[in-house]
Amino acid sequence: MAEPSSSINRRELLKSTARALGLLGVGSGAGLLSAREKKSDTRWQINPDLCIQCGRCATECVLKVSAVKCTHSFGVCGYCKLCTGYFEPEPINLDEGAENQLCPTGAIKRTFIEDPYYEYNIINDLCVGCGKCVKGCNMFGNGSLYLQVHQDRCLNCNTCAIAIACPAQAFVRVPVGKPYLLRGKGGAHK
Amino acid sequence: MSEKNSDNNTPATLDSPPVPGRRTFLRAAAWGGGILGLGGLAGYAAKRFSGGQPARTATPPLGDEFTYDVSRFQKSDPALIRYEEVTRFPCGLERGRNITASADGSIWVAGTGGIRKLSNEGKLLLTIEIDEPVYSVVIRKTGEILAGMAGKISVLDGSGNETAIWSDYPDNFLPTSISLVGDRIFVADAGNRVVLKLDASGNKTGIIGERDLARNIAGFMVPSPYFCVRMAPDGLLRVTNPGEHRIEAYTFEGDLEAGWGKSSFAVEGFCGCCNPVSFDIFPDGSFVTCEKGLPRVKLYDPEGNFTGLVAGPDAFPEYLKAANAGTPHSLGSGIYAAIDPTGRVLVLDAVGGTVRIMKPKD
Repeated sequence: MAEPSSSINRRELLKSTARALGLLGVGSGAGLLSAREKKSDTRWQINPDLCIQCGRCATECVLKVSAVKCTHSFGVCGYCKLCTGYFEPEPINLDEGAENQLCPTGAIKRTFIEDPYYEYNIINDLCVGCGKCVKGCNMFGNGSLYLQVHQDRCLNCNTCAIAIACPAQAFVRVPVGKPYLLRGKGGAHK
Repeated sequence: MSEKNSDNNTPATLDSPPVPGRRTFLRAAAWGGGILGLGGLAGYAAKRFSGGQPARTATPPLGDEFTYDVSRFQKSDPALIRYEEVTRFPCGLERGRNITASADGSIWVAGTGGIRKLSNEGKLLLTIEIDEPVYSVVIRKTGEILAGMAGKISVLDGSGNETAIWSDYPDNFLPTSISLVGDRIFVADAGNRVVLKLDASGNKTGIIGERDLARNIAGFMVPSPYFCVRMAPDGLLRVTNPGEHRIEAYTFEGDLEAGWGKSSFAVEGFCGCCNPVSFDIFPDGSFVTCEKGLPRVKLYDPEGNFTGLVAGPDAFPEYLKAANAGTPHSLGSGIYAAIDPTGRVLVLDAVGGTVRIMKPKD
């Protein structure tokens, strides 16, 4: 019995190639969509109870200025006159002079409320996520300052560079519908 | 012109496109499926493992200006240490929040888990299990126990059975310290930042420390649940104003008479948001104070002049380790002191979970 002929002409070759490329494209598209769908279910976030303020959030993020910023829960804050997250350990004066401020980038705004209470707000554009203020607040205060991944900046990388470098395994995936891990009842993302 | 289809010998003509045979169709379908699958895998892998991951550029480490460093304050001058440790033992609680000594010399600690009565050697004499945190404990001359909890004071007999609950107090009532003066009871209410004056049955008879600028009283600043009241031998109450780093003297009628204390990380001052967290008063009117953040137990004369250390920060290595690690934060990490009938200082370290008995150096 004679073998069937396996030769194909140019038209068939082109047709088959086009078909194969089309299928490959459709498959790739489906794969991309599938991957995107899975990733969009969750976001990266920092568990503030595990964070040790090592400073890597400021240096490891793929963004030029980290997506991690200090966050302030006003319901936890004591509105202290001498805030250890705001002032150097031995400030010259308890005022807003740059020499008295702990933050190297001046990213905390101190506002007088009523004697002896002051409100502290984070200036997100200046905060680099180093966690220096968080350390001061945690060590001596109520822990109302803590680091969070700001979702408006985060690229939600598949493999977060900070998460890899985090020595405390404080980076976790959280549901997209609840993308912050805030402290206290009055937790506020500002 | 006609020709045979190679698969099934069905005739094929130039007028109509050749009909593929079943074998050809299956082979083509398998190829198509394979290619589609490969494409899908490639797309998935591209997105999951590399897609959306911008290239990293090396970032230099942070400079020293980004480091919070208080290590220079965590060492103490040995020449300032006036006490030595006699013994130490576990406090028997998940998280200690208060310590006191009864007239018979027994040690009472309160906190998360209830109340424990301990001997001077650390032997457990009595366990009182309480489901909610106990913030303060004091023993009456009758042997009754007053236990301060959020919203109430529980009255217990000497065996730990509850005999009464006092709860007719303002919202947010948080009794972090109780002091007995004869039949009167003074309670530091951290939730409302005032000292409540109670009669022997727990009825409120007055308030001390409410903001009243006409009486030159600015009010207490209590950022966290550390607020302490004690009776001094000069007949005046002493109350911490932790946000202001002061200890203030009040009459029973609520007049502010005096105060002392200064803000400083240096050993003679108080630092952080809320220090001192607790204190007690010797029979001669001098003070022993406790601080969190920088765990220090210090001595002051009756006028508030620093005279030495009972224990410096380096005596609390577990505490410093936790503090330097940045977690847990300082809520629930107090240091508490009480003076026992023999003049020794009992120190409760909430982070280390221990009671230390300290006596003056010879």
